Amino acid sequence: MKVVGITSQHEVYVGTKDRNFRINEFLIIEDPYQGDLMGEVVEANAYNKYIPMNLHGELADSSVLDSLRAIGYNIEEDTIYIARVRLLNEALYPVEAGSDVRIPEFSEVKDIMIRCSVDEGLVLGVIRNTDHMAANMDEEYKNLLYTYENGRLEKQKEIPYIYNVKSMHQYPHIGVFGGSGSGKSFGLRVILEELMNLNIPTVVLDPHFEMDFSKIADYIPKGERLDYSGKFKCLQVGTDVGVRFEDLSIQDLKNLLGASGALTDAMNNVVDILHKKKDSYTSFYNRLKMLSEAQEEGSIDRISKRIEESKTDLERQGWQQRLELYLNYDKSCPYSSVRGIIWRLNRLSNEGIFSKDIREIENGLQNGKLIVVQGSTRILQVFSTYLINNLYHKRREYKDAQYRREACDYFPPFIIVTDEAHNFAPKAYECPSKAILKEISQEGRKYGVFLILATQRPTLLDETITAQLNTKFIFRTVRSSDIATIKEETDITVEEARRLPYLRTGDVFISEAAMGRTIYARIRAANTTSPHTENPFDELKGKIEEDENKFMDIIKDKLPINGDDFINVIKEIEAETGITYTIDAFEEKLEDLVEKGLLVKQKTPFFNVYKEK
Amino acid sequence: MYCLNEQLKNKIEFVNNLLLNKYEKILSLDKQILRRFIVDKVGSIKKLERMTSKELMKYAELGGILGVDGSRNRLGGAYPHFIEIYQGLARCSIHKDKPVIKADFYTPLGVEENPNMLEDSREEKLKSDKKLADIEVEAALEGIREFNPYAVIMDGSIIRYDIASTDRWMELKNECEERGIILVGVTKDIKTSIIGEELMKDKNISIDVKFHDRELLYGVLEYGEAIFTDIETKKEIAGLESAFLRSSDSPTVVAVDILQSQKEHLEEMARLILTLTPRNGRGVPLWIDIVDSEVKIPDVMIKSLLESYMDRRLLEMLFISERDKRTM
Repeated sequence: MKVVGITSQHEVYVGTKDRNFRINEFLIIEDPYQGDLMGEVVEANAYNKYIPMNLHGELADSSVLDSLRAIGYNIEEDTIYIARVRLLNEALYPVEAGSDVRIPEFSEVKDIMIRCSVDEGLVLGVIRNTDHMAANMDEEYKNLLYTYENGRLEKQKEIPYIYNVKSMHQYPHIGVFGGSGSGKSFGLRVILEELMNLNIPTVVLDPHFEMDFSKIADYIPKGERLDYSGKFKCLQVGTDVGVRFEDLSIQDLKNLLGASGALTDAMNNVVDILHKKKDSYTSFYNRLKMLSEAQEEGSIDRISKRIEESKTDLERQGWQQRLELYLNYDKSCPYSSVRGIIWRLNRLSNEGIFSKDIREIENGLQNGKLIVVQGSTRILQVFSTYLINNLYHKRREYKDAQYRREACDYFPPFIIVTDEAHNFAPKAYECPSKAILKEISQEGRKYGVFLILATQRPTLLDETITAQLNTKFIFRTVRSSDIATIKEETDITVEEARRLPYLRTGDVFISEAAMGRTIYARIRAANTTSPHTENPFDELKGKIEEDENKFMDIIKDKLPINGDDFINVIKEIEAETGITYTIDAFEEKLEDLVEKGLLVKQKTPFFNVYKEK
Repeated sequence: MYCLNEQLKNKIEFVNNLLLNKYEKILSLDKQILRRFIVDKVGSIKKLERMTSKELMKYAELGGILGVDGSRNRLGGAYPHFIEIYQGLARCSIHKDKPVIKADFYTPLGVEENPNMLEDSREEKLKSDKKLADIEVEAALEGIREFNPYAVIMDGSIIRYDIASTDRWMELKNECEERGIILVGVTKDIKTSIIGEELMKDKNISIDVKFHDRELLYGVLEYGEAIFTDIETKKEIAGLESAFLRSSDSPTVVAVDILQSQKEHLEEMARLILTLTPRNGRGVPLWIDIVDSEVKIPDVMIKSLLESYMDRRLLEMLFISERDKRTM
């Protein structure tokens, strides 16, 4: 390999007849004057001068090439390979043309490839096209992981990519971008697995109900499976966790109510007026309810009449309270708005939001666990606002108290992870969760609170937040507007941006501010699988077969079944299994099995006989 | 925009009419009539088949095919201030890493000047041709001595070696005959008029101008067809046998020359050439094109060679013509 053509301080062409180049491969240029220079292949070409691309002229057809080969001349051996190599660090002078070029040893690239030890970082995958250098790699970096390629599990052949989680202190926050099917969710899963390995407290907002780590991937060899069951907890909003109504600020409450349906100005006003500090759900709800009941009565006279007609003290007291509320609030709180708030509050309550609190999440974080908060996007949006605000301020209070040298309960640093982040921090409009995410993106570093935001639409993510994501994992992206955003927000090169739509699933460009250049890597095979990996059509087929087998088992010892005897057979089945069929349904099922070839139908003059095949 | 001179336009029209007049006869000549005439009077038309890879494999076993070509670069102006560089290359298909390269030069300045300036240009052309022929034959000679190939394919008619470089040519010819190496030449620019002469002799067809074979055979043969001449031609007098072959879809034909003594291999060689030629190409075997592209040196390269290895003063004084310095 030699440097050919015109060179510059930062880019050279390397040519050879012996081997093909791969993009992102590292090469060392042995400049006789400047010493060894490290470069990365950014463009690779092969060319055969005897097989030119000539649209108008002759083209050596394959039969002629075969003939030449038959007389002993292999034209393909005349192929030359050219690589455009960009130097990692600019040289002082243009590189000497004709300099020798060689493949680096692992020790020479170790510092730029591996930034932290295996135990302290996230082992996320392998750096692509580094297999030449991986051969004499230190033992500690070998056999760390598997990659999943072309439907097969492959042993690690390349240098591992280890994300230095400690670097987040200087370069906080991670973005994970990529279209659907690009491997984004798997990438996120691998990141979370690694966070669990290091016992880093993490909150995951999971609108897809997919971040469950209890199912171990069956492709991982038996002895090497990792069990995460003690390291994570899936909590559903409303079922396992919720909001403590007493802790809600008015703004939080309005956000929550707004999540079940947008609030009008009048409704906002109703909440402002009627919500009192330290209100519990019941006290607030009752106040609303009583006001609305009073308003239904319509006038002071009628309410007074109610008081007079009351049969018990309790009833009388109640109506007196209603009258009071009516006098105070009827003018400022229109009936329809009060009803609207009641309706929204009911809806939230029915979802169970107010019956739980977030203590379980806090405890989990204290114990270094990964907490997965699941719920619909709509409910998560609101709940996350409350949750993150709460957690962030707890951590903040602790740190601030520490600065002031005051005593305060310990609250650990933690990471917030979310998929579909553009729903939580959209660019175009205001949304309750956006404010807190924005605050964390700008200040979280100081308090040890970090974000990992995944989205398939980086263009729709709030720009201030995008700008704060110091590390970006970029999977296959097809939309040109997203590619443009990525180009703007990362140090990805033009050539790399051009490759974005064609990246294979699981291949990723990692643009790390800590590294100062983009790494082309492949995410390792995940140790666990998502609960949603079964193809819905396979599921359908499986379900039908299961049903058939079940029915076959039931009728097996009743065969042959005569067409005039259905009623007795059905009775027997009902007695044995408790399953009841109507005659029509039973016959239809038998016919189905005949059609599938599992039973044989024999026609007799009186009825059909269903027999075993 | 160029403004075309009226006179120039007229002249071109005149030339067109002139040529149209001359070629009217053969342009109007029916293809079938001409084919019949060729079969009757010149020789057989035969459809050749491409070789199978099994047949070709045999050649690799028997020593491969040696391809020979030469190149000529000229730098400088008019006589005697120029220099010509020749390069000859022989490459064996099975020894691709060991090409035989020969180089030589010619400049009138190095030799004693001819007092008769008027004859110079002709003389000079002859000398130049001889040098080129010499160097090609030398490359071929060394090639066959080193590789002992099954056959030698030379680019161009081999008759020109006989004319320009008689001594060396005889050496090559004798050596090939002795060692049983087949020697063929492939010509794209056919200058003979074997059929043209026969046409003139024929009383039935009233053609009184001698047309070249190239013109007559344009589009007459089908792909893969070859004409093997039966009549005695000028080439045969020089000890060569030849055939015309349409080796590609392009309507022109190529001529294949072979030594008289190896006449029985002519059809075999024609088939080999047909096999090695891309069907949609110009008609030249790819193997020859490869050798040709290898031997050719770009003028820029020659210039920088001279600039590097010659005294700058001499170079400027002798070989850089005023024309080269023009910028418009």
